[in-house]
Amino acid sequence: MPDLLDSADTGGRDRALEASPVSRPASVTTEPNSSPADHGKWIADAARDARPLLLFEQVSKWYGPVIGVNKVTLELRPGITGLVGSNGAGKTTLLRLATGQLRPDLGQVSVRGIDAWSVEAKRRVGYCPDADAFYEEMTGRQFVEAMTRLFGYPRREAVRRAGAALEAVDMNGRAERRLRGYSKGMRQRIKLAQALAHDPELLVLDEPMSGIDPVGRQEFVALFRRLAEQGKCLIVSSHELEELEKLTDHVAIMARGRIAAIGTLAEIRELLDDHPFSIFVECAVSDDRRTLAKAILDLPDVAGVEMEDAGGIVIRARNPRRFFKEFAGVVLEENLDVRRLETLDDSAQAILGYLLGGGR
Amino acid sequence: MKEDTKEETMRAPGTGVPADVAPVPALPPHYSTASPPDGPVTPSPLRAWFYLVGLSLQRQARVGQIVWIALGLLAFSGLLVGTITVSGWWGMQNRRLPRSREGVTYQNWAELTDALSQGAALPGSPEVAGINQALVASYRAALERTDFYVFSNFLVFTIFVSFLLPIWSLSFAADSLGGDREGGSLVWLLTRPLSRPAIYLAKFVALLPWSIGLSVGGFAVLCLAGGRPGWQALRFYWPAVFSGTLAFSALYHLMGAYFKRPAIVALLYSFFLETLLGNMPGYLKRGSISFYTRCMMFDAAQNYGVEPEKPSVYLAVDGSTACMVLLAATVVFLVVGMVLFSRSEYLAAD
Repeated sequence: MPDLLDSADTGGRDRALEASPVSRPASVTTEPNSSPADHGKWIADAARDARPLLLFEQVSKWYGPVIGVNKVTLELRPGITGLVGSNGAGKTTLLRLATGQLRPDLGQVSVRGIDAWSVEAKRRVGYCPDADAFYEEMTGRQFVEAMTRLFGYPRREAVRRAGAALEAVDMNGRAERRLRGYSKGMRQRIKLAQALAHDPELLVLDEPMSGIDPVGRQEFVALFRRLAEQGKCLIVSSHELEELEKLTDHVAIMARGRIAAIGTLAEIRELLDDHPFSIFVECAVSDDRRTLAKAILDLPDVAGVEMEDAGGIVIRARNPRRFFKEFAGVVLEENLDVRRLETLDDSAQAILGYLLGGGR
Repeated sequence: MKEDTKEETMRAPGTGVPADVAPVPALPPHYSTASPPDGPVTPSPLRAWFYLVGLSLQRQARVGQIVWIALGLLAFSGLLVGTITVSGWWGMQNRRLPRSREGVTYQNWAELTDALSQGAALPGSPEVAGINQALVASYRAALERTDFYVFSNFLVFTIFVSFLLPIWSLSFAADSLGGDREGGSLVWLLTRPLSRPAIYLAKFVALLPWSIGLSVGGFAVLCLAGGRPGWQALRFYWPAVFSGTLAFSALYHLMGAYFKRPAIVALLYSFFLETLLGNMPGYLKRGSISFYTRCMMFDAAQNYGVEPEKPSVYLAVDGSTACMVLLAATVVFLVVGMVLFSRSEYLAAD
């Protein structure tokens, strides 16, 4: 029986990722009209392509006594992966590790087998940060050109690439204004353009659709899908699973620094159904908990009930979606006054929050 | 297994995109950053580094609050020096003799003594009168040179080296990396394919013209406002100001890489540690940059009577040693900063 937490930490990622048929399309090439020397390089590049685009191996990261990322193992290949989690779940830390801004305290992060902290790895990564900090005195075009030139391209080439990237994010006609005058959505587009301009294999996008209007989101989704079709690997973080569902069904759910679950949404739901979980229920009236315990034991998904000294009961159950539906029915039927309902498993709490929340 | 198959059919192949999402019009067909029309262009790290130097040089032109303060100090000091120059107060000529009840100045005393010896009012032979006149002439010559001595002691050592030089040096240096850290824009540099030491060095190279421009340029302005002794001071002291600025800039740049609020730390250092160390007896003062800057100045102007108040206590080093120490300190601060910067992690809020 698969264990949700174990699958997130170690072997489960293999199962979840291998189940995802995300492969590099055969039509993707690197450089056209290559010389014999370039051809050798191309063969070497192709050989390296076998290595995962982004690999976290048992990575942990602390901020002093606080753990940001806890023993994360994650392997990404071309395609789109959504990264979802609440504030403080560790999403941004994970993405900063991927872009070489942070170094893991334990484990290793690599891009195509190269340490993510290294210069060589950064050449392959495009990063759209969550932070809204720019060189405000520049225009949008100047900023994207500057960022591209910092990759070592000559001016003419940087101008060409910046123009193409701005076109891709629909900012070509609005790129001559100063950044300090841009709306949040326009700033997001500029951030995305600078991440695209050097044509990276791996795109690390931290809340890229934050502040974007619905039409803009639709455009971004189209752009991301197009990039994924070109064989690029995108990791896109968001608070909202609903937002990511429109983009990809391959998601990783983070909670308290761990990957609580990874795979397609259907796989995660399936894992969740099989995963035993515990909830703590406290009733306003002491007698109610006896009534509740008795009624709840009749439910097919309930494996056991424990009476707590503190006054509540702990229920062990499976199949949370069905359980919670039936639980609500019992509470209404018996007219019970439930004061507190809490999932005792942090990871399951996070997954439930995302998979069952919002009326699901 | 059956469910897996069902799941496969729900996903667009190769992208992880759910099939139930309505297709969106594709991107413009000409969108491509992969290959330029006239063949691939290889990115060059060296080109990127030089561009970063240029970009940082350009961005340093943004006058921050502390630079405005520095310019304000320059204007105020310039006005003060100009006023003193116009009043003729650099020399000792117009100052009163100590314990002079009648208000006799040094100049008055010279004139009086001269007049007495000229008129043979003093008793003695003509030889005595001649010696007397020679002494008065020497006295006058020494008196005329006191303006440079006063200018050096008052403006250069007391105001400039102790106060203005550290402040002017930190105006740009503390903001070079510190500004990017505080503004959160450092992320753009840290995610480019440039090594951390290269970024640190590029930022330092870019700040130097501004820092040296303000310190040496500001010193030159004050010297020009000081008239003749000012010119003389500029000629003697500019190498010391230049070397001191280099060392201070490297130190404040290092602070920018290490501290979250480098400008505040640099100000505290300038006002407390540097002043405290610089005035400590014995060898302790050798831990301050201003000590070596002063030593270079003493060495350059030693023939004009400019020296520490108590040389046996001050224990000055010679000019070339002081210069070497300042240059070595610059290199050490730079290397330490590069190592520190290459090992540090900077969060957005930093």
